Amino acid sequence: MLPAILLFAFFVWEPILESVRLSMHSAKGFRTEEFVRFDNYIRLFQYPVFLKALKNTVEYIFWSLIIGFFTPMILAILITETVHGKSFFKIGIYFPNIIPGLATVLMWRYLFGEGKTGVINILLSYIGIEPQVWLNNTMLTIPLITIILTWKGAGATALIYIANISNIDPALYEAATIDGSSPLKRIRYITLPSIFSLGKMMLILQIISVFQILYEPLVLKNGGPNNASISIMMLVWNYANRNMDYPMAAATSVVICVILIIFSGLYFKLTKTKEA
Amino acid sequence: MKRMKKMITIMLCLLFAVSMLAACKKEEKNEKTDGSGTTKAPEVDTTDTAKKEGSEKTAEAKPFDLTLGIWPEETLTAEIELHNGYVEEFKKTHPNVNVVPAYYKYAVDTFVPKAEAGTLPVIFETWYTDTQKLIKGGFVADITDQLEARGWLDQINPSIKDLMSKDGRTYGLPRDGYALGLMLNLELFEEAGLMDADGLPIYPKTWEELAQTAKIIKDKTGAAGLCLLAMDGAGGWHFTQIAWGFGATFCELGEDGKYISTIDIPEAIEAMEYVRSLKWEYDVLTADPTVENWGTGFTQLGTGGAAMYIAANDAVNQPTYNNGLPVDKLALVPVPAGPKGQYSLSGGTPYMFSKSATPEQIDAALDYLVIMGKGPVLNEEGIRANNQYCVDNGIPVIPRYPAWASDELKAAEDALASEYSNVDMRLYNDYFNILKTPGNLRPEEPGETQELYSQLTNVLQAVLTDKNADIPALMQAADANYQKILDTTINAQ
Repeated sequence: MLPAILLFAFFVWEPILESVRLSMHSAKGFRTEEFVRFDNYIRLFQYPVFLKALKNTVEYIFWSLIIGFFTPMILAILITETVHGKSFFKIGIYFPNIIPGLATVLMWRYLFGEGKTGVINILLSYIGIEPQVWLNNTMLTIPLITIILTWKGAGATALIYIANISNIDPALYEAATIDGSSPLKRIRYITLPSIFSLGKMMLILQIISVFQILYEPLVLKNGGPNNASISIMMLVWNYANRNMDYPMAAATSVVICVILIIFSGLYFKLTKTKEA
Repeated sequence: MKRMKKMITIMLCLLFAVSMLAACKKEEKNEKTDGSGTTKAPEVDTTDTAKKEGSEKTAEAKPFDLTLGIWPEETLTAEIELHNGYVEEFKKTHPNVNVVPAYYKYAVDTFVPKAEAGTLPVIFETWYTDTQKLIKGGFVADITDQLEARGWLDQINPSIKDLMSKDGRTYGLPRDGYALGLMLNLELFEEAGLMDADGLPIYPKTWEELAQTAKIIKDKTGAAGLCLLAMDGAGGWHFTQIAWGFGATFCELGEDGKYISTIDIPEAIEAMEYVRSLKWEYDVLTADPTVENWGTGFTQLGTGGAAMYIAANDAVNQPTYNNGLPVDKLALVPVPAGPKGQYSLSGGTPYMFSKSATPEQIDAALDYLVIMGKGPVLNEEGIRANNQYCVDNGIPVIPRYPAWASDELKAAEDALASEYSNVDMRLYNDYFNILKTPGNLRPEEPGETQELYSQLTNVLQAVLTDKNADIPALMQAADANYQKILDTTINAQ
């Protein structure tokens, strides 16, 4: 117990408290100067890009749920149903996860390049399709970035589902097969209910992690075009690393933290009552 | 047994915690000793022998380290050789000083952690747009007294001095200045048949001509006519240069001392319409301007991806040495004129000093600058060495932009530049002449300049990615945003 508490205190609670303290002060660098109460928060809410960033972040979550939530489940079910080459597929789907994040993003930047410079556009030109603008289409920027996220992250999540599925009692499947149920029915009535509670956990973890999306939009488009892909974590980055305004960065982090705490609390409360 | 295990765990945890706290403490101590002048461990020490020499003479002066953030980066071996020569020279007069190379390229995301941890080098380069931020943050040393003692204070170009001063105290000195011009890749101009009988490029004199010239280049060579930036703040910076020609300015100081955003004035909208036409009518830009930044711009120019690029005299090494353009295939001409005039945006690179540097360290660093030929003192040898380095490495040797208000110094430096000249100066003369025109040079916009650039870059991105972008509406939105930022920051103080 104590080791965990010490670790948490040092690596989690202390930084959070320090952020709260910093966010209520004016500062030179990290050295706090004056207690300014909620001035930094007021400034943050008045900052023109704040609402846009928040809205975008919600949009990232929306698309990541649409595109990214079921993909690992489907992959896991497909792989467990495979008879030959299971390991090959397992490594295959996990592979994008091994590539360093930045390399992934840069690779996709070349794929989605504009005009005749992008790999996808070059391939499309062979079948007579005009070059597309991809990430520069503000309607597509966030969904496309979410596809990149999913491509990179789905494999790892799928492995967790696979582990979960392989724990299901084989007798259940055997009984169902003897009773003459089709593979689809077996998935519907045995597999899915068995991974339901894991799925719930994965959902909340995914939302929390996507809420903090930073380097993909930063490297791909620097939050553009015209702030179309800026996320709330990018605001933190900009405040800290472009403006050297650490109290504002801390205030933004605290807002993110509060939103996530409220959200997680609500989520657990809602799912608990449902189970009971 | 179980109890024993528990005890051991607790002991280990405590040990872990204590060791962590001890590590923090040590760092703190480092910072303090740094401030008091006793030395901290050098990160890269290549001057072992020099150190020994120095320690032999400790009786005369206290030995100390001089960390040089202005040391060249590892890959630039030729330039490091040049600096080794400077160090040798420096050692003759400062045997007690241990020079520690500590290459540091100023970057906003690494600066504050380094400054707060006390690991900033004694001297480093930064940007003029950031000097006030660094002074306000208390990260840099006040060097007024040292400059005054040397009589350098009054020699700094006054407009440049203002950028590095606060409340009458000065915190930096200029390495050199720059003024934006238009760099040309002459290989592409030749290919497009845009050279006159004398072998000089027929370059655009107005923005309208630029569009035409760019079109010819695009049609004849397939390369982009102009590399326009729209990825980060540099996009807004270049757009400011374009918009001035159309009569726009973006920020005014009102009578009540408050800054007023003027991003949405008709002149600025006209300039943005011009940029729109470059993309959607003439189609002369690189494939995706929203991924081009200062560095990739030079790559485009140097490697034949684009024929023209807004850039300054202090960056002639970028297309040539860094990106392989032959030294005689680069030209620097004036920024085209707009319907409302012709201006050159000027700024430069300042040297600043770590807050924790001692007066002795600052003085030693200033002496080192003299050896490099960067101060207002003519150091013929230093300048010769630098010019020879440029000649050897295919970098154009051209006159410096005067950072010091001394005509004699400028004349002497120019004479040395022409002695080593490795380019046809007719490719640069128009640029240097236009800078002498009264009213041509203009410093960057006042206010929260980086925020302004960021707002303008947003509009550029929208305009360059959407053919039907509503420019007046975008400019109005940017104006409202920028005014809000001004009101909550600089106007609220």
